[in-house]
Amino acid sequence: MKAIDKPVIPSRSACGLKDLTRREFLFTAAGSVALVTLASLPGYTLAQSAEHRARLAYYPRRKIGQMSQLETGKPVLLQYPYPEVNCLLIKLGAVGGGGVGPEHDIVCFTTICTHMGGPLEGTYKPEHQILGACPMHLTTFDLTRHGMVVSGHATESLPQIVLETEGDDIYAAGVLGLIYGYAANLERAV
Amino acid sequence: MATNEPPVVGSPNETAGVFAQDFVPLPPADAEVLTTACAYCTIACGYKAYRWPVGKKGGEKASENAFGVDFPSYQVMRPWVSPSQHNIVRHQGRPHHIVIVPDHSAKVVNIDGNHSIRGGTLAQKCFNPQTPTRDRLLYPQIRVRGTLMPVSWDLALNVMADISKWVIDKYGEHAWAMKTYSYEFFENTYAITKLVNQSIGTPAYAQHDKPGAMQDAVGLDDAGINSFSASYEDWGECDVAVISGTDPYETKTILFTTWMMGGKTPNKKLIFITPHRTMGVEYGLRNGGVWLPVIPGTDTALHLAIARIIIENGWQDQEFIDRWIMKNWEVSAGYGRGTRNTGVQWRTTWDKFQTDWEEYKQFILVQEESKLDVAAKITGIDTASIRRAAEIMAKPRADGTRPRTSFMLEKGNYWSNNYMNTASLASLALICGSGNRPGRVISRGGGHQRGMMKSDGASGWLSPEKYPGRRKKPINLDRWVIDGQAKFCWVIGTTWIPAMLASQELGDRLHRMTRGNAHHIHRLERQAIVETFKKRILSGGMVLVDSDIYPVEPLNTQLADIVLPAAAWGEHDVARCNSERRLRLYSKLYDAPGEAHPDWWAIKEFALRMGFGEDGSYQWADGNDVFEEAARFGRKGVLNYHPLVTEARRGGRKAHDLLREYGTTGIQTPIRVVNGKLTGTQRLHDPANKIEALESDTVHGKWLYAFDSHNGKAMLLKTPWRFEGWIDFYEAVKPRKEKGEIWVTTGRVNETWQSGFDDLRKPYLNQRWPYPFIFVNPEDARAKDIESGDFVEAYNDTVYVQTGQPVGVLANDLTFTSLMCNGHINTTTGQFTAVAIVSDEMRPGVAMANFNYPGAPANSVAHAVPDPVTNNYRYKLGRAALTKVGESPFKHSFTSMTLKPRPII
Repeated sequence: MKAIDKPVIPSRSACGLKDLTRREFLFTAAGSVALVTLASLPGYTLAQSAEHRARLAYYPRRKIGQMSQLETGKPVLLQYPYPEVNCLLIKLGAVGGGGVGPEHDIVCFTTICTHMGGPLEGTYKPEHQILGACPMHLTTFDLTRHGMVVSGHATESLPQIVLETEGDDIYAAGVLGLIYGYAANLERAV
Repeated sequence: MATNEPPVVGSPNETAGVFAQDFVPLPPADAEVLTTACAYCTIACGYKAYRWPVGKKGGEKASENAFGVDFPSYQVMRPWVSPSQHNIVRHQGRPHHIVIVPDHSAKVVNIDGNHSIRGGTLAQKCFNPQTPTRDRLLYPQIRVRGTLMPVSWDLALNVMADISKWVIDKYGEHAWAMKTYSYEFFENTYAITKLVNQSIGTPAYAQHDKPGAMQDAVGLDDAGINSFSASYEDWGECDVAVISGTDPYETKTILFTTWMMGGKTPNKKLIFITPHRTMGVEYGLRNGGVWLPVIPGTDTALHLAIARIIIENGWQDQEFIDRWIMKNWEVSAGYGRGTRNTGVQWRTTWDKFQTDWEEYKQFILVQEESKLDVAAKITGIDTASIRRAAEIMAKPRADGTRPRTSFMLEKGNYWSNNYMNTASLASLALICGSGNRPGRVISRGGGHQRGMMKSDGASGWLSPEKYPGRRKKPINLDRWVIDGQAKFCWVIGTTWIPAMLASQELGDRLHRMTRGNAHHIHRLERQAIVETFKKRILSGGMVLVDSDIYPVEPLNTQLADIVLPAAAWGEHDVARCNSERRLRLYSKLYDAPGEAHPDWWAIKEFALRMGFGEDGSYQWADGNDVFEEAARFGRKGVLNYHPLVTEARRGGRKAHDLLREYGTTGIQTPIRVVNGKLTGTQRLHDPANKIEALESDTVHGKWLYAFDSHNGKAMLLKTPWRFEGWIDFYEAVKPRKEKGEIWVTTGRVNETWQSGFDDLRKPYLNQRWPYPFIFVNPEDARAKDIESGDFVEAYNDTVYVQTGQPVGVLANDLTFTSLMCNGHINTTTGQFTAVAIVSDEMRPGVAMANFNYPGAPANSVAHAVPDPVTNNYRYKLGRAALTKVGESPFKHSFTSMTLKPRPII
């Protein structure tokens, strides 16, 4: 039995970046906020955004909602860290890994299936805290366990948006996992 | 083990277990591209491997990477590399990046690059000492006083040959046994069977999934249907698919997600016969299908009831029956009977099963168990569902046309009541007009890929076991070993013990004959080792050799005297077919680690040391030599690729190299030559295949354009529920209420392949399934205070094990009752522990455990008593009382083993 209990964090130096902790990421991310705010305006479509594909050097920290506005089981659609990347901010009503808020139940995940890019918006199952099944090939993801595949074909968990809170405000501050269609979430010397 | 403390959330450590890399190297535009097919399930999707030296990098612009795609790409189903699809390997001794992704240009099998989670993580299978693959077996070892010590190939093989010669000389070839995979590429299986059948000539040989040289879906064979007659297009274009004893979503993923959810008829209706409402079943239900949650083992009664509804309503395909079903004189006038002195002859000479349409109809109408309410009671399925299933699969439409219905069966069917379930399903399917037309097929779904290329000659006639009438019956290797008849046994690439029944009993016996024996090697000197082995054998023990790629518990970790390191998929060029007989070359992608060699090489080296090379045999320089030699022995079979070899030789080339040009598309066997071109065969038994002239070395079997029988027609088979070869066993193995038992059947989930030998070493899959499961219905769980995430022990205090070598003389000599009377049944106990997932996806009264998972031998609670008709085991009929052990660490984990129900759409 080879349970993975220890951190499995790949070396970033392999791709030209020195090892950074998430705190370092966040600390250096402030400069990117303006760009992202512009890009995340409602109605900002893929076609329009094509010219704004300048990649981020670090994950930005950006306010994405307020805890008092969230209803259990009712996902809120937003884009992070790029305007092309849809995410759902969800109050699960059950404790989730990486969950914030007093009940540790507020989580946020990208909605692009990590199998073949199928759209997962509108597939949330509040009674099971599952996103899916993906309409393409029926993959499901457990949002209480960091987006782990419950059943299906994706070879990675659903990328989870790192959340932080300040008072009632919820901030997105990073992405755990490679977003479908990307070779790297962040700009790097590849 | 259990903790009642509240989970710590939101802290940095809490997310530490997540495998969440956010970048992946892209192959540069000049990366080498190699083709292969998936290593795992029977569907064998096409894959491409991109290989480039460490130090080079591909870029995100289309011109800078091997896919010719701009990254990020914002479209579905475009080439993308997930972090699990990358690894670092050694190629020609130097470190290289490797990216293994589904072939997005595929036009067959996994069209447009569809893939499963198993194949999608193939790159993680490749040996890399920085990953959990680091425990690969790297050099030969011999066990000295309990501990494996490294030795040279030369010493290991010399010792094996010395003791083998002594065993064969002293005890006869019967005492030299072999247990191997049946599927791990033509090159290896041909070498193995050449050694077993031709050179040694031993009857003591069994493949990984059977106790001996038995057939699988025997009822299909007797009906005249080849178990792999279908092509994936057939599952794509049927109107109705009846799926018995499997969910292809879970175990044949792309067959389901590409062909059954898609294909020419994406709106097809699915009828599932299985106690587990898996994702495929749920999908079927939401698309107008039916779930028939059968009580394990009772499929035959269900088939009888459906056949009765069809016959009573006149829904049978009479035109097909009149043309393709054997008439009375064809069944009984000496035809339809097997060759002399075989199990087939025994089955077909006493008129018990085979029949024609008229008699079949009468048979169905007089069976008590074919009555809807009686069958509903036996099978545990409501009458409305049975009636609806019959209607969907057979009722003609208003315009008189019929639904095109295809029938798939797998182990839930033929591993619970081997003969009766397969025979009754074959007959039901035939009266629906299925078996030999596009979208109307009868076929196994398949488990492993089809990699057996058998040499000629077998020595089954040396087996001491006999069917009634003293017809020959293959040896049961498990029993042969338990009875102390095997003195030397070489196992290749199978776990053996947990894969067979009453597993713990078999394991105990193997232990007593090896580690439990007083004679152990104490120094690594050839003569000393051989002398120790002789003493071992003379004192009732056995010498055990195991070839594998990893430590296998307990076979080579605790028991084997000699352990040989094998080279595997991706480490040498090999070939095999998938379940639609599609032949592909599986390219060598990287260097085999350490001193690992392909199994054909180990067989060759052993055979030469045995003196079997004196006639020029075994002089193979590479895998291609074996591939070309093996082709001669497959010419009469459905996997015939001999014309490819002839074509290659004509061009002065290697057959492997010609096959390589066919890439991930490959070619479907049997390969024929039509108008001078190598031509594949999409479907067997199809009259459209008929060809007038034979070209080159094309071989035509009758099964190509008609059914596989003496006259090309199919045979109906009678299957009374209370058949004496079944009913007494079934009554004996039912769960006992007074013991609080339920059925404990076995199966697999989509995310795990086979024994998990790779999955446990793939970080992401290991995180998903770090421990074996047992799915339990909430009703059964409540009765035992079991919750999802609890460790549960399953215990059966009465596991039946057949012993000795019973010889059948009279018809009923081998029934369970007779065996019991004659002292051929022992009882033992069995248990295993698993993590409970409580979900109403299981029918009440039935739990499903991981099949053949390391450390949790669920087969321990099932009975090692073979079907007296076919000699194959009834693996799925375990029973046990469940007991909560305590909470597992996964119950409150956020990083491993989700416990959510599976069929959520």
